[in-house]
Amino acid sequence: MVKTFERGISIPDYKELTENMPIQDLPQPSELIIPLRQHIGAPNRRLVSVGERVKAGQIIGDSDASVSAPVHAGLSGIVREIGSRLTQTGQLEDCVVIEVDPEQEELTCTADDATKLNKDEIVQRIRAAGIVGMGGAGFPTHIKIKPQTKVEYLILNGCECEPYLTCDHRLMLEYADEMIAGARILSHLLDDAKVIFGIEVNKQDAIDLVRAKLEKEERMEVVPLDVKYPQGAEKQLIYAAVGRSVPPGKLPAEVGVVVQNVATAKAVADAVIYRKPLTERIVTLTGSAAVQPGNYRVVIGTTLAHLLESTGGLKQDVAKIIMGGPMTGWAQKNLEAPIIKGCGGVIALTRDQAVAAQEYYACVRCGKCVDHCPMALYPSYIGMYAELGRYDLAQEWGAKDCFECGICAYVCPSHRPLIEFIRQSKRA
Amino acid sequence: MERNLSLLVSTSPHLHAGDQVATAMKDVIIALMPVTLVACYFFKFNVPFLIMVCILTAMFTEVLFRRLMQKEPQLSDCSAILTGLLVALSFSAATPWWLAAAATFIAVGFAKEFLGGLGWNRFNPALFGRVSVIVFAPWLTYLNNEFFYWRVSFPGIDTITQATPLTMLQMGLPLPNMGTFFIATQGGGIAESSAFALLLGGAYLLYRKHITWHIPVSMMATVFIGTALLGQHPVYHLLSGGLLLGAFYMATDWVTSPITKKGQIIFGVCIGIIVVIFRVLLAPTEGVAFAILIMNAFVPLIDRLTKRLKFGEQKEQVISQHTVPAGTKMTVKN
Ligand code: SF4
Ligand code: SF4
Repeated sequence: MVKTFERGISIPDYKELTENMPIQDLPQPSELIIPLRQHIGAPNRRLVSVGERVKAGQIIGDSDASVSAPVHAGLSGIVREIGSRLTQTGQLEDCVVIEVDPEQEELTCTADDATKLNKDEIVQRIRAAGIVGMGGAGFPTHIKIKPQTKVEYLILNGCECEPYLTCDHRLMLEYADEMIAGARILSHLLDDAKVIFGIEVNKQDAIDLVRAKLEKEERMEVVPLDVKYPQGAEKQLIYAAVGRSVPPGKLPAEVGVVVQNVATAKAVADAVIYRKPLTERIVTLTGSAAVQPGNYRVVIGTTLAHLLESTGGLKQDVAKIIMGGPMTGWAQKNLEAPIIKGCGGVIALTRDQAVAAQEYYACVRCGKCVDHCPMALYPSYIGMYAELGRYDLAQEWGAKDCFECGICAYVCPSHRPLIEFIRQSKRA
Repeated sequence: MERNLSLLVSTSPHLHAGDQVATAMKDVIIALMPVTLVACYFFKFNVPFLIMVCILTAMFTEVLFRRLMQKEPQLSDCSAILTGLLVALSFSAATPWWLAAAATFIAVGFAKEFLGGLGWNRFNPALFGRVSVIVFAPWLTYLNNEFFYWRVSFPGIDTITQATPLTMLQMGLPLPNMGTFFIATQGGGIAESSAFALLLGGAYLLYRKHITWHIPVSMMATVFIGTALLGQHPVYHLLSGGLLLGAFYMATDWVTSPITKKGQIIFGVCIGIIVVIFRVLLAPTEGVAFAILIMNAFVPLIDRLTKRLKFGEQKEQVISQHTVPAGTKMTVKN
């Protein structure tokens, strides 16, 4: 029996479009738009000015606040502009715009003997590389691995439960050694916490490969998980993998668990062993309107326009472009937004596949949202009270504990914009 | 690349399971077709006539009320058609058309649209309409005499035995054979023509996942056990008096039943208990309709009482962690 969590839902996954496509490099972009803040926490201060030359891997923004992570230039070039630019969420953020040198110097990193480093030095290297949770949350990793409580389990999140996305799947297949090395480093920092790789069984090849590599490891194992959305949500993953429930408003560390995305683990290995900053990531380009779906290695700051242009453009009847996953990502109004550290996918959909905001009706109390809500909330009541402006009652029925997985709106036969109602209730 | 694409922008999620309210309504209508056909066989053209009257009244009433309330009619969700059909099926085939039309008008106009439309209604509209005309019966008898000449009836109606198995049971008359009774019988409401056809439709609704077993099973089990304990024939009770129609098509109405499975079981059991009280102790025949309507009123309460814990929430956590002994004074510094 494969393990899983309670409630949730199975969604057609559309992963066959890209799951067997090896990671490819994207042609070098001529411009990078790098948001100064790509993490949860204090904003960064810019460390470069307009007209300045920057080298590949140079820090261009940082902050003294503890919950923050620096950002780097992925390619060398000249800073052309620093100002507000549209980002994937549809909000304006301060960005450094770099005109990229057509000729890039080859950047070589040599491995250090990381076993000689003490824990503080390792944490320092992780921070210096600007590593944040790459599953989308964007929480600075160097903070997450210094919890106040004793941690027994480090769970590596290889669920990739969002439909369409395959970037983590490919990473597990093509960078298994780096990922495991990163996991070892993270476990060492957490006083040798036991390592569990949680992988959904629709990625059997990844399960087999990682298992084979862990054969001799005593404190590391793979736990195959059922294919169900949102299996990769932190609390649901912890429940499935080790059977612990994180109480509302608490952090996983309080039940002795830390979760890290598999791509984050690989980035940690690069940072600690090679001192390589986080300046690129794997992005799945997919969907019915993508001309060349695939998994691409993309420099952070590459715009959507460049990603699409260099992969053959878009099909004629494109109707929607999403950054992130289809359940939690953001619809784009144009192609200006850059790829950031937490963006694993770009999904271009044709009209027949794209869901438009449509007329919605009153809640008919069908109970589907209640049956499937992974947090055991009452989206129907939250939505109804939010509509009536009674945000106090909406919160009583659980609005604040919602992590916006999107299931309730996905199943609602009245097409109610429940995520919007929930966001309103949280803000109130 | 064309920079001026016109792209759809909407909040996540960007996928939808594809369920529609109209699909569910249509499926309930489909599920009611077998019993309708059996009734047509028994009562001939009277059945489709009554159904047409009710459905047209329902649609007309919805449009009228929504126009009066300055809202767009929402006929495409098919709920008006379903309410009309359910009202028609809950009457006997000999019912005068204007009485059925009046019940439908009350069902759609007052029990549904007046309260805000589908979703905002507290009581099952079809049952509310049906029961209203029973409550106003004395007055309606007068009307019945006045309007006697307006009666429309087709051949087939005079074969109706007015006594239903339930009244036979109450009057101590010999009961029909159980087997024929299960497959098809004449008597009582249109929807009482065939228990088998109702169960067939119920199975379809379960298969299509529009309803779950919780309400029908808890309701029927309670009636079965209750009547058995009181020394009656539990099977006849299950198969008559609109119990199956109520259990599969009325009590399971999404809008007017509890939202969690636990609440639905409580709801079903309570309806069952009330049905037994009505039938065995008080002896009217419309027990099911009253029982469901009474419990409709308690749905918000049941929802609140059965509210489940959030993921990871423990019972004790509900108690404030910051407890201060009674009488502690707080000093406020200025
Ligand atoms: S209420 Fe929140 S957690 Fe529950 S299904 Fe909806 S989005 Fe997911
Ligand atoms: S899924 Fe939609 S219609 Fe059904 S109970 Fe939830 S909010 Fe209401």
